[in-house]
Amino acid sequence: MNLLESYLVISSILFSLGIFGIVTRRNAIAILMGIELILNSANINFVAFNRFGGMHKLDGHIFTIFVIVLAAAEAAVALAIIINLFKNAGSVDVDEANTLKG
Amino acid sequence: MSNFSSIAYYIPELILVILILSVIVIDLIPSLQDLKFPVAFIGLGLLALALNLSHGVKASIFMDLIVVDPFSHFFKWIFVLATASILLVSRYSVEVEEENHVEYISLMLMILLGLFLMASSTNLLMIYLAIELVSIPSYILAGMKKNDRASNEASLKYVIFGSFASGLMLFGLSWLYGISGSTNILDIHAALLTNGNQFLVYMSLMMIMVGFGYKISMAPFHYWTPDVYEGSPTPVTAFFSIGPKAAGFAILIRVLYTIFTNDGSLNATSPLYDVNWTLIFAVLAAITMTIGNFLALHQENVKRLLAFSSISHVGFMLIAFTVIGTEALTALLFYLVIYFFMTLSAFIIAIFIKNKLDTDTIDGWKGLAIRNPLISAFMVISLVSLAGLPPTAGFVGKFYLLAVLFRAKTFYWLAVVAILNSIVSLYYYFKIIKSMYFLNEEEEVSSEPLEVNPYVKWTAILFSAQTLLFYFYWTPLIEFINRSLSFWNS
Amino acid sequence: MYLNYSPIIIYTILAIIMVVVPLFIQSLISPKHNKGGSKLTSYECGEVPEGSAWVKFNVRFYVIALIFIIFDVEVVFMFPWAVVFQELGLLAFVEMLIFLLILLVGFAYVWVKGDLGWVKMKMKYAHGRYSKLSIKEEV
Repeated sequence: MNLLESYLVISSILFSLGIFGIVTRRNAIAILMGIELILNSANINFVAFNRFGGMHKLDGHIFTIFVIVLAAAEAAVALAIIINLFKNAGSVDVDEANTLKG
Repeated sequence: MSNFSSIAYYIPELILVILILSVIVIDLIPSLQDLKFPVAFIGLGLLALALNLSHGVKASIFMDLIVVDPFSHFFKWIFVLATASILLVSRYSVEVEEENHVEYISLMLMILLGLFLMASSTNLLMIYLAIELVSIPSYILAGMKKNDRASNEASLKYVIFGSFASGLMLFGLSWLYGISGSTNILDIHAALLTNGNQFLVYMSLMMIMVGFGYKISMAPFHYWTPDVYEGSPTPVTAFFSIGPKAAGFAILIRVLYTIFTNDGSLNATSPLYDVNWTLIFAVLAAITMTIGNFLALHQENVKRLLAFSSISHVGFMLIAFTVIGTEALTALLFYLVIYFFMTLSAFIIAIFIKNKLDTDTIDGWKGLAIRNPLISAFMVISLVSLAGLPPTAGFVGKFYLLAVLFRAKTFYWLAVVAILNSIVSLYYYFKIIKSMYFLNEEEEVSSEPLEVNPYVKWTAILFSAQTLLFYFYWTPLIEFINRSLSFWNS
Repeated sequence: MYLNYSPIIIYTILAIIMVVVPLFIQSLISPKHNKGGSKLTSYECGEVPEGSAWVKFNVRFYVIALIFIIFDVEVVFMFPWAVVFQELGLLAFVEMLIFLLILLVGFAYVWVKGDLGWVKMKMKYAHGRYSKLSIKEEV
């Protein structure tokens, strides 16, 4: 198993854990953590492909920096939304967010 | 083109950035606070002027990150028109509170900037950044009514579905980068012509489609649409139903036609040789329009009904992806323009009703024909157009899309599904018309006239009048679209 | 090549042993029937524990943290720039100044709207979006 492959295995494991967390958890903050895992698995992919994939430019590394910043922005907005929901509904359980239906 | 010399081609976006910053700064200075909306409109006017001046220019700027071409130019006009009309209407909406005006305007303009970039990116990094620049302010706009629980929930659902979809898309993009070694979509296409694994190409295509499909609310990624549309403030809903969707189609066309298209010149060893997305889109189009229509049947809330109707229209527009060629794109862009006018006029009338009567159920619209005959008449025109009946432009749009199928002699079953769906959709559009015009004898509704704000009234009337106009005289529009269908590399 | 990683394996094995062996020894020699009273309370550095650990933090902490995280993460863009900016020249410097200017507008917005203030200060010297708040009269 070469180095690229082992990084790809790690990123696939992280990706699957992220999906698992999103599907099984009912707490909105835990779901966000799952989403962060998915983003980080993509980051590992980008850096690993860039480093071991025989590429000359640094596109993958640059991509990762932008993804880190966007993940932070997204997490900040999502947490603000969750805090606001908590103020109004008293819970961060996504199953209790069910006034919109049909 | 280098960064410095690119600036000359980037003036509309720069105007937009300066506009966003100045709206925020103006709000921080107490004596200037009332100037927010005027400044926003002046800025959008300047932006339109700059857009008009850059007509027909083709260039690849900022080290090939984004391009300026007639295709992106066409979409930029749609975005500017949509944003300007929504801002005009939201100024008089009760759902956007006075104290949140600055956030509202600046977030709307940020989305507009994101939409501009979405229509013109040619690099995976720019595509991802543009989609997020549209998504993140959208999450906040959906939750604009801070103390309303439905609005909170709408934004929670939006943020969870949205970031999940963009995470999947990012993972797909990372694989696409891995198998091709570049983030530029032309280079990716060139790399995939010779080497690569077909399974990996399919996998990354599927994951990217999740991200784009979520933006245009294509089934099976449509779950967020009805909830977000119902919970968000109505002007925001109106904006979501057109802006991000049009941009999603723009980016879908650019990525599919640049990276994944087999134009017949490929040899059988290329991993792209068997990548057949027309069949995938035929199935998805059928599923999307059927789901949208059948779930719309039993809706009692007008915003929710329009949400499902927009899903079914997306299904119709996806028909254009079952055939590769300029004709299909012409039909798609034509339908998009028609959809823009008819959806926006229906939503603007819904905003007006919500302002006056504080209701968005179909029953709440009872007796509108007596209380304001003019607005109800134009609502009928928009609804007839949404249903796709003559004499409205909705009919012409559907005709063009189906003609694409018949001319290419493929997917006849999809045409049958589309026609059956149009018949089903008549039921729920006419439910609204029935509520406005026909009353049961024992029912009592107030008959006092409703006054309409002139700006809201004329925007709605102007937009729904377009749907009539384009039924009788659509040649200039088709010519404009044909001129716009020129990419920077062709 | 994998031989280079042998210290890690030794380290891992040692770490496992260091945890498992004391646990095993203490289970052999510790008294079995003295688990009541202060043994079961939580340990707060010798103090008598007071109240539940599950207190609610003031929601202001979250707002400050959210603002912090955004401005904190933006620094990531400046590291690559700082490494090469002498080679890139004046244009890159101006570009970074513009970037910081945009951030500064965001900072000014947060400041003027009163999101950086603390709760009590906000009640007394309320400004921005908090100017409508008032202190409730104690009865």
